[in-house]
Amino acid sequence: MWGKKKDHRLKRQLSETNQNKQRLSQLDSGDKARIVEIGGSEQFRIRLIEMGVLVNDIVEMDKLAPLQDPIEFIVKGYHLSLRRKDADKIAIEIL
Amino acid sequence: MSPFHIAIAGNPNSGKTTIFNALTGARQRVGNWPGVTVERKEGTMDHFGDKFTVIDLPGTYSLASYSIEEKVARQFLFEEKPHVVVNVIDASNLNRNLYLTTQLIEAGTPLVIALNMMDMADEKGLKIDTKTLGTLLGAPVIPIVGRTKEGLEELKKAIHSVANQSAEIRDIHIPYPQEIEEEIETVSKTLNTLSADADRPRWKTTRLLSRDETTTKKLQQIDGGESLLESIERSIKRIESIYGDSISAVITHARYGFIQGAIRECVTETITTPRDYSREIDKLLTNRWLGLPVFAMMMWLMFKLTYDIGGYPMDWIDSGVVWLMEFFSGILPQSMFASLLVDGVIGGVGSIAVFLPNIFILFFIIAIFEDSGYMARVAFIMDRIMHTIGLHGKAFIPMIMGFGCNVPAIMGTRILETKRDRILTILLNPFMSCSARFPVYVLVTGAFFPQYAATVIFGLYAFGIVAAIASGKLLSKTVLKGFSKPFVMELPPYQRPTLRSILLHTWERGFVFIQKMGTVILVGSIIIWALGYFPREVELDRDYTLEKEKIFIKFTERSDQINLLFEHSIDKGKRQHFSEMVPFKESAKYSVLIEQRDSLLTNLKLEQETELVEIRYEEMAETMENKWIGKIGKFIEPTIAPLGFSWREGIALVTGFVAKEVVVSTYGVLFGVGEGVEEKNSGVINRLRQSGMSPLIAFGFLIFTLLYTPCLATVAAIKRETASWMYAILSVVYSFSLAWLLAFIIFQTGSLF
Repeated sequence: MWGKKKDHRLKRQLSETNQNKQRLSQLDSGDKARIVEIGGSEQFRIRLIEMGVLVNDIVEMDKLAPLQDPIEFIVKGYHLSLRRKDADKIAIEIL
Repeated sequence: MSPFHIAIAGNPNSGKTTIFNALTGARQRVGNWPGVTVERKEGTMDHFGDKFTVIDLPGTYSLASYSIEEKVARQFLFEEKPHVVVNVIDASNLNRNLYLTTQLIEAGTPLVIALNMMDMADEKGLKIDTKTLGTLLGAPVIPIVGRTKEGLEELKKAIHSVANQSAEIRDIHIPYPQEIEEEIETVSKTLNTLSADADRPRWKTTRLLSRDETTTKKLQQIDGGESLLESIERSIKRIESIYGDSISAVITHARYGFIQGAIRECVTETITTPRDYSREIDKLLTNRWLGLPVFAMMMWLMFKLTYDIGGYPMDWIDSGVVWLMEFFSGILPQSMFASLLVDGVIGGVGSIAVFLPNIFILFFIIAIFEDSGYMARVAFIMDRIMHTIGLHGKAFIPMIMGFGCNVPAIMGTRILETKRDRILTILLNPFMSCSARFPVYVLVTGAFFPQYAATVIFGLYAFGIVAAIASGKLLSKTVLKGFSKPFVMELPPYQRPTLRSILLHTWERGFVFIQKMGTVILVGSIIIWALGYFPREVELDRDYTLEKEKIFIKFTERSDQINLLFEHSIDKGKRQHFSEMVPFKESAKYSVLIEQRDSLLTNLKLEQETELVEIRYEEMAETMENKWIGKIGKFIEPTIAPLGFSWREGIALVTGFVAKEVVVSTYGVLFGVGEGVEEKNSGVINRLRQSGMSPLIAFGFLIFTLLYTPCLATVAAIKRETASWMYAILSVVYSFSLAWLLAFIIFQTGSLF
């Protein structure tokens, strides 16, 4: 539908915003971060919120699963695992 | 008076079931919630002469009805209106656990809050002012340690007084932003003017604002409901534009605001850094390098224990079954009834009953995995692999269990959360070679690939896994499209499981298998027995009795000849015996003669036996051919002929539908080979080689046995667990087609060379 040029520009814009925001999936073991924004489907966002993962909460990356996915985090004192592609949807600020 | 109804609600891993068990003791019943396959547990409790029925609701983080569990819990709370809802809360994780509480408060259910795991909270340095918390939440808050039953009496007392409405219940409002409060006001007024059910206006409004399906549908059915919905839709747009966020998020955040306020007032935290034992255990169990090997070892141990320990009671049951069969055939005169009882009922059910110990041990170990918290780690470790076939990591466990027996494995899919995941796992499960297929593999590979037996059998197991993966990809792209739920999973702290709860778990699940034996398997065994028993009178082309007699006469004549011959030789020897010192009967010559004679007679006897067995086998085969079972085999022969199978394979496969190991015993019957496993197997192996089967056909037959229609008990389990015949039929049709197709390809391409 879109012209190729426009499509291209849009893609670049998106990748720029993505680069500006750090993602939960980028944390290394032991890193702590503050959640800035939770994206993804409504169902995913509500599920996270219901499990107590809110914007401004502090998240600690605990470790990767043996096959590199999913990732284990510590939030509000309990352990939570997310797949990499889901953790990608959460923007953070490394502390 | 009729008993009070109590529902127990709470987050997964909050210790809900421990408290349920503590309240009800062993007086509980397990079933399914109507229409869905979420486990429903119900028990009874007495207190001060009042009777209580206690229902354990599925563990949920919320009542938003995104998952089956949430739907079930919510429907029960609103439709059955329990007298008391006990909300079990993990005191060491108040923040998250209280979220469900805010929903329960709003839903207007009479609450008692059981603040569980107080010991863990203490360790974490949390001091909780339960009185103030109770005031803030408007419900009694009872500190309790479910595992040690500390505080249980107080909890019972509180339940009792809330049920009798003698407890102080305050109406609590969770404060929302002004715009939402105004909306609640409007909706509540409108509902009143519509003379609709205006109870719980705060709950209803927040649900309507979140575009909740159930609540919206209900409103649509009321006159004037549509216009109210339209006005709500406008408000949603307005509020969302003010906050720049979805309205569900705004509402959820407001609830967390309330929770954080409550925690600030009631909880004092002393800074302690308790040892996080779970984390330390996980350093090994989910370790980047060791996690997988340790898991593999756990699985190996699971099978080892299942089969090694299970082997003993298996033998006892086996000899018990044999004893019963002998006992009844001994005291009962030969009749149809005796045959039905001995061969049909005892033999048939007995062949499945031997698996009971294995199944119970397997369930016992699975229960330990679940109760200790290891199951969540399994999901964590295996998710990457299972995700490639569109499944949740936890689905690995039922798949592995399938190597033991598909029936408990299919029941084991209850640990999965979404219906789609469960159905997909159930449909793939029969491709895991269950232990019943093993004897078939051993028999056929023994007959045709004796040098490569281990490799062929291993290859069959591996091929089953390949078939499961390929089918998983196929099914998740066609019949079971749908998206898999986001993988947001808690890794709960490890806990020492209590023996009681493990035994309860094991028994609950094992019992379902026993029920199955009493029903489906019993009926199936009787049908197969009848097919092999009727019609009573079969016309045989050859007169076997006469042939047997001929053989007998022939051999009697030959042995007579031998005896005569040796009598002559002995007489001759006696005449030529000149020694006075040694009598002829003690001479070397005599003993040589006797030895020669005896060995000739023994050989003759063996020869006779072989010929008789041959005749008996031919008689049995022809008899079977003329029974209904043989007619069915003949009837289906054209459909399996393209695979190179004869009517014998047809019958073996048809009877294998009752239980796959029956394929072996069917061959035993068809070839009329005697009792005793060792002897039977080698006998059948010889017959199989002679029956015109080639290694190519045998290979196709093995693949067919691996893939084709799951056994009767498995089909019944599929029907039961998916609550639909459709999936049972799908499984039967799909696996049969796949088996046929592959065996066809193997035979046809193989025949080209």
